[in-house]
Amino acid sequence: MLELRNVALKFKDGQDLIKPFSVAMKPGEVVTLMGRSGSGKSSVLSFIGGDLPDAFEASGDISLDGTELSAVLPEHRNIARLFQDDLLFPHMTVGENLLFAVHGSSRAERLDMMRTALQRAELGGFENRGPHTLSGGQRSRVALMRALLAKPKAILLDEPFNKLDSELRQQIRDYTFAHIAARNIPALLVTHDRSDAPKGGRIFSINANGEVTHV
Amino acid sequence: MVRAALALPLLAVFVVPLLLSVALVLPDTFNAQGMNDVWQHPQFAGAFRLTLLTGLASTTLALFSSLLIVARSSRSLSSRAGGFLAVPHLAFAIGLAFLIMPAGILARIIAQFAGWSAPPAWITTQDPYGLALTVALVLKETPFLVWALASVLNRDDLRQAFAGQRAVAASLGHSRRSVFLQVILPQLLPRVIWPLVAVLAYGMTVIDMALVIGPTQPPTLAQLIWVDINNADPEVNARGAAGVVLLSGVILLVVATVAALLRCASTAISGFWSKGPHQSRLRLTSLRHLPQRGRRREAPDEVSSLWNAFRIIYVLVIATLILQSVSGLWVFPNLLAEHFTLSAWKRLLTDASPVFTSLALAILTATTSLAASVLWLESVPQSKDKGLLWLSAFALCLPALVIGLGQYRLFLALAISGTATAMFFAHILPVAAYVFIMLQGPYRGFDDRFRSAASGLRASRAHFLRQVKWPMLKAALFSAFAVGFAVSMAQFVPAQLAAAGRFSTLPMEAVTLTSGGNRALTAAYGFALMALPLIVFLVAVRMGRSRWRTV
Amino acid sequence: MLNRRHLLATAFAATALPRLAFAAAWSAIEAEAKGQSVYFNAWAGSDTINAYIAWAGDEVKKRYGVTVEHVKITDTAEVVKRVRDEVAAGKADGSVDLVWINGENFRIMKTEKLLFGPWSEAQPNYALVDVEGKATTKQDFSETVDGLESPWGMAQLTFFADGAKVPNPPRSMKALLEFAKANPGRVTYPAPPDFYGTTFLKQAIYEHSADRRFMSKPDDGSSGLLAEDTFTNFLDELHRHCWREGKQFPKSQADVTQMVADGELLVGITFNPNEPANLVAAGRLPATTVAWQHEQGTIGNTHFVAIPANAKAKAGAQVFANFLLSAEAQAKKNDIKIWGDPTVLAVQKLNDAEKAAFAAASAPGGVTLPGPTLLEPHASWVPALEKLWLERYGKG
Repeated sequence: MLELRNVALKFKDGQDLIKPFSVAMKPGEVVTLMGRSGSGKSSVLSFIGGDLPDAFEASGDISLDGTELSAVLPEHRNIARLFQDDLLFPHMTVGENLLFAVHGSSRAERLDMMRTALQRAELGGFENRGPHTLSGGQRSRVALMRALLAKPKAILLDEPFNKLDSELRQQIRDYTFAHIAARNIPALLVTHDRSDAPKGGRIFSINANGEVTHV
Repeated sequence: MVRAALALPLLAVFVVPLLLSVALVLPDTFNAQGMNDVWQHPQFAGAFRLTLLTGLASTTLALFSSLLIVARSSRSLSSRAGGFLAVPHLAFAIGLAFLIMPAGILARIIAQFAGWSAPPAWITTQDPYGLALTVALVLKETPFLVWALASVLNRDDLRQAFAGQRAVAASLGHSRRSVFLQVILPQLLPRVIWPLVAVLAYGMTVIDMALVIGPTQPPTLAQLIWVDINNADPEVNARGAAGVVLLSGVILLVVATVAALLRCASTAISGFWSKGPHQSRLRLTSLRHLPQRGRRREAPDEVSSLWNAFRIIYVLVIATLILQSVSGLWVFPNLLAEHFTLSAWKRLLTDASPVFTSLALAILTATTSLAASVLWLESVPQSKDKGLLWLSAFALCLPALVIGLGQYRLFLALAISGTATAMFFAHILPVAAYVFIMLQGPYRGFDDRFRSAASGLRASRAHFLRQVKWPMLKAALFSAFAVGFAVSMAQFVPAQLAAAGRFSTLPMEAVTLTSGGNRALTAAYGFALMALPLIVFLVAVRMGRSRWRTV
Repeated sequence: MLNRRHLLATAFAATALPRLAFAAAWSAIEAEAKGQSVYFNAWAGSDTINAYIAWAGDEVKKRYGVTVEHVKITDTAEVVKRVRDEVAAGKADGSVDLVWINGENFRIMKTEKLLFGPWSEAQPNYALVDVEGKATTKQDFSETVDGLESPWGMAQLTFFADGAKVPNPPRSMKALLEFAKANPGRVTYPAPPDFYGTTFLKQAIYEHSADRRFMSKPDDGSSGLLAEDTFTNFLDELHRHCWREGKQFPKSQADVTQMVADGELLVGITFNPNEPANLVAAGRLPATTVAWQHEQGTIGNTHFVAIPANAKAKAGAQVFANFLLSAEAQAKKNDIKIWGDPTVLAVQKLNDAEKAAFAAASAPGGVTLPGPTLLEPHASWVPALEKLWLERYGKG
């Protein structure tokens, strides 16, 4: 369970961006946070991830499965993130990108996990290809697989379907939600497009005054 | 606190010595007699005009030719330009002069047909308007600007954005040229202001090239000052010191004006084109946010014919240097020397210790500067870069004499003149300035979301730096190292002052030996000065190359 | 009570003591010099000179245990400034032990008390110097030497050309003008304040002023008149027939030499009468090269070595300077194949074997038409003359 309690954001100069709000995401649930560009919705994700830019100040508590996160380093929070861009590391092969997320285990096991993930993404045999040789949809799938291979306890989605054209968008969206459901981890999706939200999921919206309300 | 401490190395090797050095030179400014003497110098007005003319003309022309070249294609240029950059200014001027001067190779070739027995009365070098000097500067600085421009165009994040914008604009019926002018150029110019400033400042302070190919009656301001500074009479020195301060002031003023104009210009260009009567109206702001339509193949790698012309000239200049280095007496109008000799090369190789001193200093200072810059960029918020960038640009704009003189006084006061420590500090100052300027853009331009993505994959900061960030920035890191190396290898004035005769470096040896006018020796040393940075550049390009050849 | 013997002994001691003390003092210097490193700051633009210095350094290392480090410099003025700055900063163990110097640089160091000494006349080999025949060994550009520098070599303004192209060398400024008229664009000289250019200007004034003797005294303000006279009567016209019509000038003597070698210019200029021969030997000028001095004489001077006041190895520097004055070192330096720098010694005072070492066969490029030596004008004329020249010709 990912819980935000009285989370608020303001600019360093004191100007309010988002007024205090609270929300708890249950395992397998995808909660959507909607807002215009510049509303601070992505900064909420940065705050949860632990790397809020210097220009902002945040208050409030975040806990994941009961653990308070404020003192935890970003890399120890176990929260994966997906962005508008796939952010595959361009200097690594598809396989190396995936291996980057696999921790522990022996090399053989790690390779095995990577290949399984590739199979799952219907990209078997793409292991040694450069990310630049993949299509947009393929890259999105690799990015999702990479995020999930790190065995995150929650996932943050920062408009990850924004750059895909409409047909592909639907497909990747369903694919992503299905995998999140299968992992049974909480997810927070920020978007400006209501149609990105999963059907029946809870939707919150940031209004012009920075108030977050349940829609 | 720990993070703030990581900024210290750069402050210690660059900022503090720079500020102290400048502070120690400042009293010269208040020498009223010296200032008065500068104005009274019979050649001052002419020299001043000439400096402004050659500096501004060469920078403008170099900018235009470099834009013409990158507009065509920029993909492989950032690596190709490296070789050109490694050619030292002095060596280039010597080679070029021997190509075009009245007794030069061109004249000799024509003489074969025209039947000349003595060199023609050409004014191809030392022309009163400094045209030859301007041409030499344009030829030498264009590759540097091409490299700077191509580095911006080839930056991973920008290249993708530009490619998308090109594709969109092309789909709206715009020609390649119009896309470049309307879309790319306005975004490009603000990003190359620092390299342009360096070119301008260099053009206005250059001494060695001007001595070889520039006019003497009157000479450029820098040459005029150089003569005064080298005089033993304290009064003449004071005039020279006042001249240095004056020249620095003029340069800072010109640079500030040009930088401001460029900023305005890039806005004006986009404004002009987007409102142009016959153009379909492109709104750049909206264009920037247009989605990227997949990944289109870029146009085949066409290399601009202007670029090819540059290549030919450089090859000719280098070939001339090599030919000169083995030529004995070479009477006009013969196409080859009467006899060939390896004596210049023997001389170079009999005492190789200056080569090793230079090499050690270059590796040490480039590595230290790179490490210190990276530590700064990793630990200090970006908002603080501006001050350091200004300081770096300031250091590059100041004539080497100012910093040299200040450092020298500093070293004397600290009683470290003539020590290895002094040599290290004398070399690292410009190296650190260049490395920081080169690195800051790409490093700060790095997409921080990669860090967030990596944290989400449970990668520690160190793991992320080693596995993701530095490998992704390796081209920029290696280039910065190569530039730092080349800058260190070319360091002369401050090094000479700091060495107090206890150390000799390759450029010091070259300058003293060539003051005797032995052309073969000059050419051999010029070639040696070029060879080491060239090798480092080629290695840096190879190491910095993306593993995907198509990228 | 003083007895006669005692008196005699005292008298003997009184006369002999200076000599003995002299010898003892020199031995003490040699003893002190052993193991010292002498940083010899000397212009290094010539490979032959550098090789000679390296040889001399090796010899004093072998003979006296003194290590000589040749600090290669482009301009002696940088050394003057360094010493001045070090002294001002209170640096007692200075970086310069010995410097190759003369003229303006010497005058400045002497005036500013930056020199150690007097010492040069106490060197054992100083006795061999031709102080009568070569007045410039005691008067450096009209500044008395006063034992503050040790003479090293002789120089005299000398012209050279390819004899195949210039069969009848112009042996006066007037003749040079006629030559320039006949060969437009093929004559020039380095622009003042280059040392050679300034000397050319002084030589021109000498040949056009009714009485040049008063130039040995400090400039009393008549430099303007003298220069004006020479400009209107001679240089204005010469420049019309010069390279680039006298609107541009080469920046250095080395450039002029190179342009002569290329064939762009016909007449070169030098201060070492043997330099053309040396360049012929080095294959940089054609074997048909000839060198000459003006019939009525050309300006000549002596170059010296001096020890800065804050030198660290003063004893070592003196031992090295003394070796440079030895008949052996001077003869080798005199050799055109080695360097070709004329000696400061009175060769007639030497023994036969030593004399023989100086007897050199004439070499191609040597001075075939010598002229007498004229003394340099007082150094105070130089800044005024340079300024006047620049005002008239330096603006393009």
